Amino acid sequence: MSSYKPKVLVVDDEARFRETLIKLLNTKLIEATGAESGMEAIEKITENKYDVILLDVRMPGMTGIEALAKIKKIDPLLEVIILTGHASVDTAIEIMKHGGCEYLLKPCPVDELTARIDAAYERKVTRTKVKAKTP
Amino acid sequence: MPSFKVLVVDDEFDFLETIVKRLQKRKIDATGVGSGLEALKLLEETSFDILILDVKMPKMDGIETLKEIKRRWPAVEVIMLTGHASVESGMQGMQLGAFDYVMKPAKLDDLIEKMVQAYERKLLREKQIR
Amino acid sequence: MKENFSGRSRFVNYLVPLCLFAASWPVGRTGGALYALGALILAGLSFFLFRHLVHQINQAEQRSCELDEQLIQSQKLAAIGELSSGIAHEINNPLAIIGQEVEWLRHLFETSTLQEEKDRGEFSDSLKQISSQVDRCRDITHKLLNFARKMDPVMQAVELNRLIDDMAALVEKEAKLNNINIIREFQKDLPLVTSDPPFLRQVILNLLNNATYAIEANGTITISTKDNKDGRVEIAVADTGRGIPKEHLKKIFDPFFTTKPPGKGTGLGLSICHGIIQRVGGTISVISQLDRGTTFTIRLPIAP
Ligand SMILES: Nc1ncnc2c1ncn2[C@@H]1O[C@H](COP(=O)(O)OP(=O)(O)OP(=O)(O)O)[C@@H](O)[C@H]1O
Ligand SMILES: [Mg+2]
Repeated sequence: MSSYKPKVLVVDDEARFRETLIKLLNTKLIEATGAESGMEAIEKITENKYDVILLDVRMPGMTGIEALAKIKKIDPLLEVIILTGHASVDTAIEIMKHGGCEYLLKPCPVDELTARIDAAYERKVTRTKVKAKTP
Repeated sequence: MPSFKVLVVDDEFDFLETIVKRLQKRKIDATGVGSGLEALKLLEETSFDILILDVKMPKMDGIETLKEIKRRWPAVEVIMLTGHASVESGMQGMQLGAFDYVMKPAKLDDLIEKMVQAYERKLLREKQIR
Repeated sequence: MKENFSGRSRFVNYLVPLCLFAASWPVGRTGGALYALGALILAGLSFFLFRHLVHQINQAEQRSCELDEQLIQSQKLAAIGELSSGIAHEINNPLAIIGQEVEWLRHLFETSTLQEEKDRGEFSDSLKQISSQVDRCRDITHKLLNFARKMDPVMQAVELNRLIDDMAALVEKEAKLNNINIIREFQKDLPLVTSDPPFLRQVILNLLNNATYAIEANGTITISTKDNKDGRVEIAVADTGRGIPKEHLKKIFDPFFTTKPPGKGTGLGLSICHGIIQRVGGTISVISQLDRGTTFTIRLPIAP
């Protein structure tokens, strides 16, 4: 059980941010992959299983909030952490309405991010168990 | 009295037990927990309208708990409660989005009035965003 | 403003027929002496009317000057606020990349054995420095984007005196330690105000905190409230502190303006206050005398 690595998808249009974050997360025993747009993220989610998604709010094409709504439809158990440079309570509340997720402001130290991912993963495990019990 | 759900967070067990009992006597749906972490855990399962949050707690203090709550449940209104008046933490609390910063000992009636106002704010904001 | 002009025209409406009446009535009846008296009355009345008008116009002009200044000041601040929060957003993204690159470098460095012993020390010192400066920038941008600043106000009924009293009580303990007295001069029957209570608490706390900082030790802070009877209430926070030099007065509401030593203050306190007061439809102004003290005055609409 302890050898299991949480699977994380990093959705951000900025390539360098994505790539270095993935390398850093891999050193923390988290299995991370990237997607450069909401569309790509949705494709990847449909094809593969992930535990946690890190999602930017402002991206060209589909915004993070639109992507979030679709993601939650495809996999309601997926934990979403919004990671963005743009802060606003109103956006945060709007985001929360799409179902439980966290809101983190960039720049965020990788240790803190790792802690959030671990917590999100734990939440996912409990929620999956609860769901399995209730028919 | 409007019906709202209150979570009281305080590491002093006697205080916690008394205030929860007194609130319940006034027909207020109140629950108590002894730490910030327990509060976060409980919020994941149950929703509350208002939090009464002690500022000075071991491990995770009130300001840290407030930060975390506003990050994950920004719609919850938080009233900070403190035994030691500190301007610094008061400014921090208000800046982080607390509804009020109240000093102990607070009269129950005053506290209830503040809760009613905080709840009114929560409803108003929900209407505003919709 | 509107009130004033209609007030004046009502005054003119009364006076003009009265003068005409005074002037014309005696002519037909008794002529001579009475006519002269009538003319005198007319002259006197016109003189008063004229003086009254000039006075009113002067006052209106002065007020509109003040209004213009307020308007320019608040437009300037709104522009600066908009710009700086825009910049903060944009900076957070590159900052995030810098921060991550540093963490990656540190990871590579910790797992490598190639460096000379003395280089290792400098290398890790540099890395530490970069990441601590990133943290510093992060503090600034995050404070600038302070959640509350970006949040729409929620307007509800506020008992101002009580709200202010609560905040004063919070500051009072620490103030007493430095022999600073807080005097409350609250108007008793102040009307309920519709505003955003937590925002107002933040403003009052900021002003009180600035006042205690300006006094340092031994002095008084006087907080007063009054109904202006023009649909607004007034809150004044007056201190007996060091005062603000004239050349600073125009800058104190600007974000990042501070006279505190580096690292001590961000200079965002008053600009946050200004932003809040503006968003709840009020105004904030300052009067100061060097070495005597400073008074901040907030005017708030009773209804939004
Ligand atoms: N009551 C006062 N008396 C004298 N000077 C004042 C007073 N209030 C503000 N100032 C001046 O205005 C400046 C800006 O104030 P502001 O509250 O915006 O920032 P700050 O207090 O310097 O920093 P921070 O609020 O982040 O701690 C202060 O540095 C000080 O020079
Ligand atoms: Mg200040």
